[in-house]
Amino acid sequence: MTNVPQAAPLLAIDDLRVAYHRVAVALHGVTLRVMPQTIVALVGNNGAGKTTALRAISGFIGVDDARVIGGSIRFAGRRIENEPPHANTARGIVLVPERDKVFPNLTVAENLTVAATRRASSAERRRLDELVFALFPALAPLRARLAGLLSGGERQMLAFGSAIVCKPELLLVDELSLGLAPVVVDDLARRVRAIRRELGITVLLVEQNVGVALAIADYGYVIESGHVVLEGPAGELRGRPEIQQFYLGLATGNQVRRYRALRERPANGPGDRRQ
Amino acid sequence: MSPQLIANIVVLAAIYALVSAGYVLVYRVSHVLNLAHGELMMIGAYILVATAGLFSGNPILALLLAAVSGLVMGLVVYAVLMRWLTGEAVLAAVLVTIALGILLRGLSILIWTTQQFYPAAIFGWRNPPVHILPGVQISVASLAIVALTIIVYAALFLFLQFTAWGVRMRAAGQNPLLAEQRGIRLHAVYALAWGLSTFTASLAGMLLSLDSGVESTMATIGLKAFPAALVGGLDSLFGALVGALIVAAAEIAAIQFVNPLLSDVVPFLVLLLVLAVRPWGLFGSREQLDRV
Repeated sequence: MTNVPQAAPLLAIDDLRVAYHRVAVALHGVTLRVMPQTIVALVGNNGAGKTTALRAISGFIGVDDARVIGGSIRFAGRRIENEPPHANTARGIVLVPERDKVFPNLTVAENLTVAATRRASSAERRRLDELVFALFPALAPLRARLAGLLSGGERQMLAFGSAIVCKPELLLVDELSLGLAPVVVDDLARRVRAIRRELGITVLLVEQNVGVALAIADYGYVIESGHVVLEGPAGELRGRPEIQQFYLGLATGNQVRRYRALRERPANGPGDRRQ
Repeated sequence: MSPQLIANIVVLAAIYALVSAGYVLVYRVSHVLNLAHGELMMIGAYILVATAGLFSGNPILALLLAAVSGLVMGLVVYAVLMRWLTGEAVLAAVLVTIALGILLRGLSILIWTTQQFYPAAIFGWRNPPVHILPGVQISVASLAIVALTIIVYAALFLFLQFTAWGVRMRAAGQNPLLAEQRGIRLHAVYALAWGLSTFTASLAGMLLSLDSGVESTMATIGLKAFPAALVGGLDSLFGALVGALIVAAAEIAAIQFVNPLLSDVVPFLVLLLVLAVRPWGLFGSREQLDRV
């Protein structure tokens, strides 16, 4: 599946700039589009600004001391930058965070009941609850267990579950694969596609593991040091030599390790961006 | 130990437990230590004096009105004061509650002077001692305090354990950011915690004033209930119950066997002892030691 240019994007981010503690700028003008019912991957190295971008969409709270200082985030046409997370969740933008993704002192069942959303009627809510256990049958026997006692994979499943009961329209996933065994990652990747199919939702995925991300996604953005440096349909990105070399580790012997170092070379891909 | 002594311990423990529930509620949800809790309890008692004056012929209405005011008081304190401190350092919020306490104490003296008021007398109620066992007698109001403490704790337990908003309050205490990301409005949860906290404190203040009147020194009871909450571990309601029992037993024993003048000191001696051995309290979570 590819982006259809004439359709309206569900999420449109233009020239987004985010600062922490009023001075440290973590994003320098990121622009991206997420089309309805696609899976879009935002890939890049550690510290590239991927998580910041996702957190800016989901919303910051006071203790983050972070703010969108420029640009815009439009969700279904409405501007949502600097809205609190609960308001965005109520709009249907739901995040599966990278760390602290479940409430450790609540049981698995309580981690699902905790979600407060007025978007779903109580009948819908019951249906979503059932869907969670249908998608992740491994969680069913663990209902009464404290989430703090779950394995990493089970935690990730529960985090997806508690996001699903919020009735998302846009699911934001921060690091699907981090700290998980490859078998678990493959399994989760299949479930993400199943979630998209079952709920007809849109997914924006942030990943360090570029191979995993481009395998799941329809479209990809590569972000480096707070800038988008490359974008394109996932299949096309997978085939690009720079991606294979820097992120997939398929080529060796070249001294250049970052995409930006290649900028001066003529860029000719359809989705190339230069600043 | 005589049965009468045990009855006295239970009554005092009920008072401390009822007051310290409010400390635990606010701390557990927002990690803020509300050091104006005793003053808010006293204001709750004074509100009963006011409503009793207005509706002396209708005690039920006066009590109901005062109880509702207790709930509203916490919501107002959160909305006008504490709300602006969420996301700031916890220490700043705690200092603000100290300032609030001093302000409330001053205001209460300005409004109600240092005179003692007896809302029970306004209703024309007497407070006769009842014999609950042969040779054991406590006042009717004390009996009501014990009963109310049991009801309040049972209700709070059921609320926190089994209702969606109770689970949300626990969740917000653990991880405010994730709570927001799951659609929970933090301000609503914090306001609810403050409302419930001053509601239970007001109930305690109202019953204490029905038992023995209210004057400007009532706030010290809040101060003495604070060790009870800390001994149990600030984030545990069950701990508050046990802590209240320990502190009350030590205090009554000191009054009975050593010197009645010790009564104000003993709760803090117990506190020092427990904190030296288990800094997180008897039932508190070990990792939550970022208290001020």
